[in-house]
Amino acid sequence: MSSSQQLSRKGERSAKFTIWLADRSSRNRSMLDKVCRWLVVRETTPPPEEDFMRDDFVDSDLGFDPDELDRYQRGEDIEPLNR
Amino acid sequence: MPAPAPFDPQDIVDAKYKERAVKDGVTTKRTICQSCDIACSVVSEVKNNRVVKVRSSDNPIFRDNICMKGIMAPKGFANPNRILHPLKRVGERGSGRWQQVSWDEAMSDIGSRLKSVIAEHGPEAWAVSTSQWNTATDHGLGRRIMNHIGSPNWLSGVALCAGNTAAVNRLTYGWFPFGDFNNTKCIVLMGHNPRRHSWTPLYNYIRSAQARGAKLIVTDPRQSSSAKRADIWLPLKAGSDTAMMFGWLKVIFDEELYDKDFVANWTIGFEELKARVDEYPLERVAKLTGCDPIMIAKAARMYATSGPAIIPWTPITDMQRNSTSAIRLQSILRAVCGNIDIPGGELLQGFNPDIVNESTIEMHEVLSDEQKSKQLGSQQHPVFTYRGQQYFNEPTKRVYGQEYANLVMGCYMATPSATFRAMAGQGPYPVKAFFFLGNNPMMSYANMPLIIDAMMNQDLIVAHEQFMTPSAQLADYILPADSWLERPWLADFWGWMSTVRTSEKAMDPPGEARSTFEFWKLLANALDRPELVPWDSLEDLYDYRVAATGMTWDRFVATKDVHFAKPEFRKYEKVGFATPSGKVELKSSVLEDLDFDPLPYFREDPPADPTFPLKLFTGVREDGFFQTGHRHIPEMRERHPEPLMFVSPGTAKEYGIAEDEWVEVANELGRISIKAAIRDTMPDGLIRIPHGWWKPEMKQGAGHLSGALKYADAQLCRDDDEYLDREQGIPHLKGVPCQIYKLTPEINENISDEADLEVTV
Repeated sequence: MSSSQQLSRKGERSAKFTIWLADRSSRNRSMLDKVCRWLVVRETTPPPEEDFMRDDFVDSDLGFDPDELDRYQRGEDIEPLNR
Repeated sequence: MPAPAPFDPQDIVDAKYKERAVKDGVTTKRTICQSCDIACSVVSEVKNNRVVKVRSSDNPIFRDNICMKGIMAPKGFANPNRILHPLKRVGERGSGRWQQVSWDEAMSDIGSRLKSVIAEHGPEAWAVSTSQWNTATDHGLGRRIMNHIGSPNWLSGVALCAGNTAAVNRLTYGWFPFGDFNNTKCIVLMGHNPRRHSWTPLYNYIRSAQARGAKLIVTDPRQSSSAKRADIWLPLKAGSDTAMMFGWLKVIFDEELYDKDFVANWTIGFEELKARVDEYPLERVAKLTGCDPIMIAKAARMYATSGPAIIPWTPITDMQRNSTSAIRLQSILRAVCGNIDIPGGELLQGFNPDIVNESTIEMHEVLSDEQKSKQLGSQQHPVFTYRGQQYFNEPTKRVYGQEYANLVMGCYMATPSATFRAMAGQGPYPVKAFFFLGNNPMMSYANMPLIIDAMMNQDLIVAHEQFMTPSAQLADYILPADSWLERPWLADFWGWMSTVRTSEKAMDPPGEARSTFEFWKLLANALDRPELVPWDSLEDLYDYRVAATGMTWDRFVATKDVHFAKPEFRKYEKVGFATPSGKVELKSSVLEDLDFDPLPYFREDPPADPTFPLKLFTGVREDGFFQTGHRHIPEMRERHPEPLMFVSPGTAKEYGIAEDEWVEVANELGRISIKAAIRDTMPDGLIRIPHGWWKPEMKQGAGHLSGALKYADAQLCRDDDEYLDREQGIPHLKGVPCQIYKLTPEINENISDEADLEVTV
């Protein structure tokens, strides 16, 4: 097997392991699952100063009041919703 | 894969990413957002049977995949103008006069009238347009019923967005690949521009790959935000992508940068392709694209030599008069550079073996060959119709285990323009009944004036909708549709990838809103064919679909929000490719058999018309909207109060246009009103306009259509032969000749003339 083929096979093993890890991490029930989740979190969390996904609209993490949504749906005059 | 790390169990407790505490009275549901087509896994928080918040998933592999459209969904679906009860037209078509009726009454009459149309004109007289990608929950039931009834005339926006790409990709290697962003070393973005609030997961993937050191090449006429981050930006002329890829192949072949082993062992037609590529020396490509030949060569070398590289799907090449050749050249670049089915390259995943896929539910095998041959558009433009895709039945069975693979729903479609012509009385036979679900067809395809004529010529139009869209305004019945917050979903992504995801129902639908499952089940009953939808409920159908996992749907969705298939690479070494030859067809045997050029080619623009000296790029996406939706959400309209035309400072000066000034954009087909937005990222001579504008607050009904007649870009989208792709029959939307005119103040005043929104019930 040539060196490029060896490199290719190594890449395939690595990719398969990554999927296995993501699968266990997503299940997140057993101790092994939780270890996998910890690894995934560790490897995918960028330093805050390099976190390109930060965004005011998303990070403000606001929701709505259910009663106001009810009134809004009924067409009643309401104060601006909680956003 | 990172090196093994020392493990301390306490680190799990201290990990930065934590699941959120449960709040009083709030339950959480793992859902998939369908406010656009990218399908982010998110969490919906529920209180008092209301979704009160949509937030990022707790699963780290989906972290931060959420945008403003998903966050605003609880309010968007609570809009007071949402349609909550079945409506029946009581005046002339488009008069805006409606009567509230029961579902039973509506479906009984719809069934009776559809049977009459079929009895008089044949089953092919019934056409359905479902933007299945967007509603994402048709479950294959629409096609299943149509196939049993005998109609081949299903169409969708995927005819010019991803579905057609899937069909054309099959010509080369038999499947539609998905790029392995996690392991790639180089990404090529051809004109599209994923952002934080637009196609968010792709933006996340691309930025993450760049952070790991992957190269980014962008081809785009304007300097998009992706272009600003790119290692190489090629500012090509709109619509010249095909010529650009010929230039890349010329460099790759001349400098022998291709994967010689793969080409020798797994392709056919290399010498013929090479001869065609030789017709495109870099000097010619530079002239056709307007780009520096040195930079073209540099980009080609970067793609071919960086390591595994991907060319992700792009809508830009889906919507060109050279679309088939452009998509074929993307496929060919992937193949000759050895990027097929390897980590970091383009994965041919196949279906998930644990799930009954939608192609199986659709049952294309029951539609007779005679009815398949009647599929509209299949004689002139066959590639994504049954006629063009039949060649893959046996190869697909050999490689992927089943004959019919309706990849991204794009492989067995009628051609939209041919269907609307038949509906308007200009086709080989009449189409007299038209249904659309979660779809605003009048504004979603080319040649909107033709579509309006087509709709006005129908005996029966049925819409399954959430809001009174311009298309719904011309219907006979509008049936209230649920939303993604109000139904479960098993997302199998139509074979594009083998990963399956789940979405829980988070709240009950309001009023009498019902799912597409219920719609199709009721229709099957109304057509006296209840056996076509034998499942009692959507959950019952999902039990059937996940049975091979050994779980019920309830158990499946409670256990996991993502279900991976076992990854495999280089599967072709065992079973070949799902093409007639079993190899990658650089020269397409299917195109040859259909009497088209089996090699890619480039059609240059028709001679310039001095009446329309500018080039028009339609289809610009705005972060707050998706397609023609979300115009009713106040927060989104605040961000995008009016449609904006992007134009360079030079062109604006030439036409005497100032920022925020209203202008008219016109071409041979139509004209629209729009505000000017001058951007120094735009090239001279090109204007870009957004897709799908209408204003729900404006006057409804024929002659008004809530502003669609003033603003909708589909009025400028030509579908005459010069501006259709030959093989697919899809329109050229990227570089259409046009002209712009300043608008007078009087017309400008009319534009702001808003009308009563109330539905007459």
